Amino acid sequence: MIEFDHVTRTYGPKPAVTDLSLSIPRGELFALLGPNGAGKTTTIKMLVGLLRPSRGAVRICGYDLTKEARSAHLHTGYVPDEPTLYDKLTGREFLWFIADMFGMPRHMATQKIGREIEHFELAEFCDDLTESYSLGMKQRLVFAAALLHDPDVLVLDEPMVGLDPRSVRIVKDLLRTRTQEGMTVFMSTHTLAMAEEMADRVGIMVRGQLRFLGTIAELRDHMALETTNLENLYLELTTAGPDAS
Amino acid sequence: MTGTSWWGRSGRGPQSESCRLLSVDAESRVFSRLRGTIAWETLRSMLSGARLRLALVVLLSAVFWGSLYALFYEGFSFLESIHAEVISLLFNAFFSSLMIMLVFSTAILLYGNMYCSTEAKLLLTLPARAENIFAHKFHEAMWFSSWGFILLGSPMLVAYGVVRGSPWTYYLLLLPFMVSFVVIPATLGAICCMAAVAWLGSLRMHALAILGVVVCAGAAWLGWSMFGSSPAGGGTTEWFEQVLARLSIAEQKFLPSWWLSSGLLDAAQNSTRPETRFASLLESVKFLAVLVSNGMLLQLLARWLARSCYRQGFSQLVGEMPARRQRRIAWTDEFLSAAGTARGRPLRLLLVKDLRLFRRDIAQWSQFVIFFGLLGLYFFNLRVFNYNVAYASMISFLNLAVAGLILSTFTTRFVYPMISLEGRRFWILGLLPVHRDQILWSKFLFSFFGGLLPCCALLYLSDSMLGISHSLIWVHEICCVVLCMGLSGIAVGLGARMPDLRESSPAKIAAGFGGTLCLVLSSLFIMAVVVIAATPTHLAMATRAFGGGGPPPTGILGWASGPQGTAASLLLVGFLGVIATFLPLELGLRAFRRLEP
Repeated sequence: MIEFDHVTRTYGPKPAVTDLSLSIPRGELFALLGPNGAGKTTTIKMLVGLLRPSRGAVRICGYDLTKEARSAHLHTGYVPDEPTLYDKLTGREFLWFIADMFGMPRHMATQKIGREIEHFELAEFCDDLTESYSLGMKQRLVFAAALLHDPDVLVLDEPMVGLDPRSVRIVKDLLRTRTQEGMTVFMSTHTLAMAEEMADRVGIMVRGQLRFLGTIAELRDHMALETTNLENLYLELTTAGPDAS
Repeated sequence: MTGTSWWGRSGRGPQSESCRLLSVDAESRVFSRLRGTIAWETLRSMLSGARLRLALVVLLSAVFWGSLYALFYEGFSFLESIHAEVISLLFNAFFSSLMIMLVFSTAILLYGNMYCSTEAKLLLTLPARAENIFAHKFHEAMWFSSWGFILLGSPMLVAYGVVRGSPWTYYLLLLPFMVSFVVIPATLGAICCMAAVAWLGSLRMHALAILGVVVCAGAAWLGWSMFGSSPAGGGTTEWFEQVLARLSIAEQKFLPSWWLSSGLLDAAQNSTRPETRFASLLESVKFLAVLVSNGMLLQLLARWLARSCYRQGFSQLVGEMPARRQRRIAWTDEFLSAAGTARGRPLRLLLVKDLRLFRRDIAQWSQFVIFFGLLGLYFFNLRVFNYNVAYASMISFLNLAVAGLILSTFTTRFVYPMISLEGRRFWILGLLPVHRDQILWSKFLFSFFGGLLPCCALLYLSDSMLGISHSLIWVHEICCVVLCMGLSGIAVGLGARMPDLRESSPAKIAAGFGGTLCLVLSSLFIMAVVVIAATPTHLAMATRAFGGGGPPPTGILGWASGPQGTAASLLLVGFLGVIATFLPLELGLRAFRRLEP
């Protein structure tokens, strides 16, 4: 579903991501962890086609993001860290715009918009202009928009920011159900508890390189430390020297 | 993890059933619907929540249009009677300079819309064609950059048609001509913008700066050669002929401005013979066809460029390293921080912070430089015209009003939103050992001193060029100080009294009810100051002109037109300034002390 093939991205002379090779199969929930400036955002931007790799290729469902961006986007849903909406559209109008953009037939769009409004409990405010929404309401709407076309791949950048506990539960349940049904999720997060609870595999990036890739259990084995606490393992890995992996 | 998919079957994915890539036309229709819905919702919000602003905009636009129409009507009537051939030259000069401005304004707008906006980030992650995203953003940019042309050009062209007694077909062709003309420079601007981002990389700012310097130098040379270096002096027939000869540089047949001018002039032909009228109309339609076909060709080129390099350019821009700031502290900041007593230090530090933000916000200082620069250029050329004393005095007071109005747009656009924006960061200031009053006073001082220097200097320039007496220069300078004080007081006071703490865009804050009220009050204040200050001088001139060399007037008229009258008017101006400064400030201070962000 998602494939990073020897991907390198530099900002001027400075490497942000170095030789990243990663393959995420269908139905997996993958969490990308790492300290600030590790290259997580660059990786996400390359995955959604906002940034092109300096070397290598990123593919979604076999489509190269550089050469076949539109086809790749057709299979992708994206929830950015800061929700982007049109102030002068209502929530429902925004969902219709997204449905139209994905070429959904009218009857199907109506049905799916209704479904997402129900899932994310948007009914109360979805006919108001989005300029009046709180951050949490905006984030829920963006989730609804990202899932509207039943994407094969869902890319989440710090997905829980701004959401209240109930919305967090809704999102978690939804992610669980949909990954079980075949959707692949690529999530960047700082919330270790979330990664521990939800992710099938985690990747830990440090200074642009993937220092660890595997399950949480594998991480514990890998680090061979007395502690089993993910926070301690993470801190040990991210503060250690380059050959710690 | 894998297996039967959640949509009830295994296989490639749900897209084959529920999603598909749209055709070019279908995608364009989706974008059109988006623009239509946004426009409708914006209009609805304005009608329900910002009626005052909408009414003011409509009213002021109507007044502006009407005044321009009257001005152009008089001008064309005069030219038609003595120099009919000049009109073609003027049209060419006007449209060619407008063309250059449209290229730049569209390029700048598109740069912001296509590469720096959050909307662009959203659209680029959707399965939309790059060329359609470009077309969508181009529509917006073209509208924003060309409405001024329509507002300015339509009264001129309608007035010309009326003076010439043009047939109805002329008026019918006006809009198609204007729109098809605007598309050409706007598309050229778009092409320059996309090419610069994609191929010039980080050198684009340097290239833009060099281009800007070249264009400014060209404009300055043209301005100087027309108005500055004329041995004949301004206003004479010889000077006029020299100016016309130099304006003929704009009459180039390969320029779209020439096609527009020629097409309009042909359409405006009013012949009594039907066959001549038809021939002119046909000729005009031919020019329209040339404009339309060239616009379409350029659009094709721009769409091809967008398809080839928009995503690449966006990626390149996102991937650029932000420039590192020097750690060195500017001397002005150092001076302001260190000078004065320890008690006033917090106030000065707040001032330094605002000064730093101003320096680093290109939108603020570039507009400041452009508007005051243009005003300076106009003032500098005033000496060419040999005005008599009364006319020079009137112009000088009008210039005072113009400087005040420009300053009021800055105080409304940039100073008024400052408190609202501070409100969003209130936790920073709220935790500092700074009295809230000091925050407001620092904004006032920033605005006052920021406007004082350029306005006083510009008015001195204007008065020197007009050959105004020293006493009147002093009157203007005092008025200027009062205006800077009052306008700053109104903007800061109302900004604190009516803050919008939820909004992060200063433009939107300024466009709200409070911002509109600020602009209206500022304009009324400027008018009051200028009228009060100008009355004694012009009363004196009027009594001299109508007195016919008789004895000077006595009584109230003599008093009002003498030095006592000037002193009294200045006192009244000062009093008005104090009211305009301290009343809103006091209201603002009270509200700001109670503010709970």
